[in-house]
Amino acid sequence: METTIFHVFRNTPLGREILLQSLYFCQQTSSSIAVYIPQHVRFLMYYENDVVQVDLDQSYLTDPETAKEHAIELALSMDVEPRFITPKNFTASTLPDIPVDFDFMCCPRSISDLSTKISLGHIGPKVRRIINSARFPILMPSALFKEWESIIVFFGGSDNSIKALKLGLRLSQITGVPLDMFTYSGGGGTQKNKEHFVEVLREAGLEDIVCGNEDQNAKVREWYFFDGGKFEHNLYRVPHNALAVLGAYGHGVVKDVLFGSTMEMIQTILPNTLLIAGPNYVVPHP
Amino acid sequence: MKKFISWRHPGTISIFRMDDRLLLIGMGIIVGLCSGLAALALNHSLIFMLEFLHDFRHYWWAFLLPAAGAMCSSLFLEKIMNEGAGHGVPEVIYSVSRYGGLIRLRSSISRLVSSCLTIGSGGSAGPEAPVVMSGSAIGSNIAQFFFLNDRQRITLVGCGAAGAVASIFNAPLTGIIFTMEIILGEWSMVNIIPIAVASVAGAELSRTLRGNIIAFESSGSFHIGHPDLFACIGLAMFAALASVLFTRTLRRMHKVSRKVSVPFWVRAAIGGCAVGLLGFMVPEVMGEGYHAIHDMIEGVFKGGIGIVALACLAKILATALTLGWGGSGGIFAPSLVIGSFAGLAYHRLLVFLFPSVMWVSEGCFALLGMAGMMSGILQAPLTGIFLILEITGSYEVMLPLIIVSALSTTMTHYFEPSSFYFKELMEKGQLLRPGTDSRVLADISIREVIEKDCICVRPDMLLREFLYTVQRSTRNYFPVEDQESGQFVGMIRFDQIKPYFFNSVMYDTVIVEQIMDANPDTVHYDDELSEVLNKMDTHGHFSLPVVFNGRFVGMVSKATLLDKYRDELNVQTAHSF
Repeated sequence: METTIFHVFRNTPLGREILLQSLYFCQQTSSSIAVYIPQHVRFLMYYENDVVQVDLDQSYLTDPETAKEHAIELALSMDVEPRFITPKNFTASTLPDIPVDFDFMCCPRSISDLSTKISLGHIGPKVRRIINSARFPILMPSALFKEWESIIVFFGGSDNSIKALKLGLRLSQITGVPLDMFTYSGGGGTQKNKEHFVEVLREAGLEDIVCGNEDQNAKVREWYFFDGGKFEHNLYRVPHNALAVLGAYGHGVVKDVLFGSTMEMIQTILPNTLLIAGPNYVVPHP
Repeated sequence: MKKFISWRHPGTISIFRMDDRLLLIGMGIIVGLCSGLAALALNHSLIFMLEFLHDFRHYWWAFLLPAAGAMCSSLFLEKIMNEGAGHGVPEVIYSVSRYGGLIRLRSSISRLVSSCLTIGSGGSAGPEAPVVMSGSAIGSNIAQFFFLNDRQRITLVGCGAAGAVASIFNAPLTGIIFTMEIILGEWSMVNIIPIAVASVAGAELSRTLRGNIIAFESSGSFHIGHPDLFACIGLAMFAALASVLFTRTLRRMHKVSRKVSVPFWVRAAIGGCAVGLLGFMVPEVMGEGYHAIHDMIEGVFKGGIGIVALACLAKILATALTLGWGGSGGIFAPSLVIGSFAGLAYHRLLVFLFPSVMWVSEGCFALLGMAGMMSGILQAPLTGIFLILEITGSYEVMLPLIIVSALSTTMTHYFEPSSFYFKELMEKGQLLRPGTDSRVLADISIREVIEKDCICVRPDMLLREFLYTVQRSTRNYFPVEDQESGQFVGMIRFDQIKPYFFNSVMYDTVIVEQIMDANPDTVHYDDELSEVLNKMDTHGHFSLPVVFNGRFVGMVSKATLLDKYRDELNVQTAHSF
């Protein structure tokens, strides 16, 4: 079945770059795109166990007369036919409810704070809530449109990273681009050896796919495994033109607040386009 | 860590997995206490604000106080809480109807503060709807925190509403009945017990912290005679008239205010200012107006029929100006005030027309007027009856209460087919009560009923080749797809092309493209099933193709839909009485 990516369009140069990323993703994955051109600065997304209010910044309402025209123009230039979403339900008269039955959603790092759009910044609280609640992965595009020629999965051995790996494998299969893996085994006392990660992969039934040879149907081109140096320094090895797939927020809020999150570090340092699978992401059946 | 996780997932503990009633009762107590506390907090804040502003009300510029309150209230809701505010109770009903009771956390605090600003500064509104909103949001967020399922979450939303109403009025029965009749719209065993427990918890908390106070207790008792019972019919008419007038004025005022193109906070200030000016002439219209009710029930309210009738109209106007122009609050308290004015005016009219008849005291008619008004505007007679019984403690007026409430509801229904809370939701088709056709259809998506066992054919296929396909198929519908692009180009219905099958000359001369319907009706994943069924009924179809992004995905048929419909209906009505 075809997949759909949900995109909130902003009619600005930055919005154009972000839409181009979504459209490129559609092209690569044969997905269709559902575009929402906001009429109000906020909307609600009702997930299974959470309701997220997204407060957009004013730039999303820029020049509404030309917004649809621009979106169509960009989509057709990339041979994608867009479908525009008009909210049917409203919680309050200026508070539309946006459906959540998509397969992907494109979301910049922050959608309610203009200051972060010029740098990689931190993930805004709304985007974090969306990642936490959504059953679909979030495409977090780089500030400037760039085609990706490989996929790299950040694998740290957690349940969420297994999901991310499955997502990366699926995308690699659909798009035909090579898949790499990145693992940092941790510095100091928490260091784990490679066998530990192989064991995790074996338990998930992915060992042959990652570590096997071609006869064993291996799908991973290269496994970047680092057991030394600083994590952020090792990120330099991530190809500049790779789509980075990672799991996020598998830990509790307390741990994230106290010790920081690997995902936050990756997104702050890495300018690549990211595809983030949150804790509620459900891997679709093949 | 694991213990923490299981603690946050109580639904997975084996004892609760078998039967979750115990879990819901336990949670209900917590929710009832929290929402009761929220209600009491608002109550005390209102008292504080009224006392604080009391000294300023004698100045000439006192009419600006409600304006400032309404302005701050709207700014707080829009700029600080980013609420995108609705009325409160309809929003709770909407979330219960459509999204399993999911309500934003911010709603548990936003309406409390905003309504406190509006009412405390003199705006004409009630604190009850905000506490219902707050209590419901507390229940919803506790359910979200513990990862409870939709049904359990809805029950806790109900617990929150019941606890809040029970606490603010010290009326546990009203809390239960209001929740079942208005918020949930269903009487089911699984809901009623936790809601009753939450209501008791809310009321008990109120009694502990405020004392067992009956809000409008009368010092004397009412002796109802036969003439009074007959007079109740006329009172019900009066109350129904006031209900209709109040509902329409509120709606009208909303529309009028939207036409004024000024910032929302200026609009709220204009409304507040108008209420302040009105308050110079009729002080009873200011705030929640409970003092006036006390006086009327005690029979010490001064002023003749004209003054009382004028006060009744002024209160309607003041509430419409407050709520319609951007202030925050509910219609419970204003309805009680308007109802008691209507009852009092009616009593004085009766005494004027029939001075020799021994009528019951005017306080009784004020009380009956409140019941009639509540029942009329909410179209919930039980809520009206039990509320008045509990807040006045006048159980001897049970019979006339029933008469007035029942008749007022019926008469109002004739002019306003839905209650004030439901009207907007019904107009948008968003009032989906459990077990109703619209709710069952809304809960089924096209993805759940799609049939994918159709065999697709090519447009250039010869009729002979198509015949072999028909032999293999168990279906009467054949989607036609372009071989190269995979795009859906048309549809063949077996009954439409039967004539070709009996003419063998056609077998090698006709191709599928020539006999297909090139412009068939289609549906999309996003379409609601009610729309799909309408389309089927309008055009006489039994099945329709689902097309997504120009490609055929499957068929939706009435037969499969009926199966799914029955399953869903069974689920929704399994626990009903």
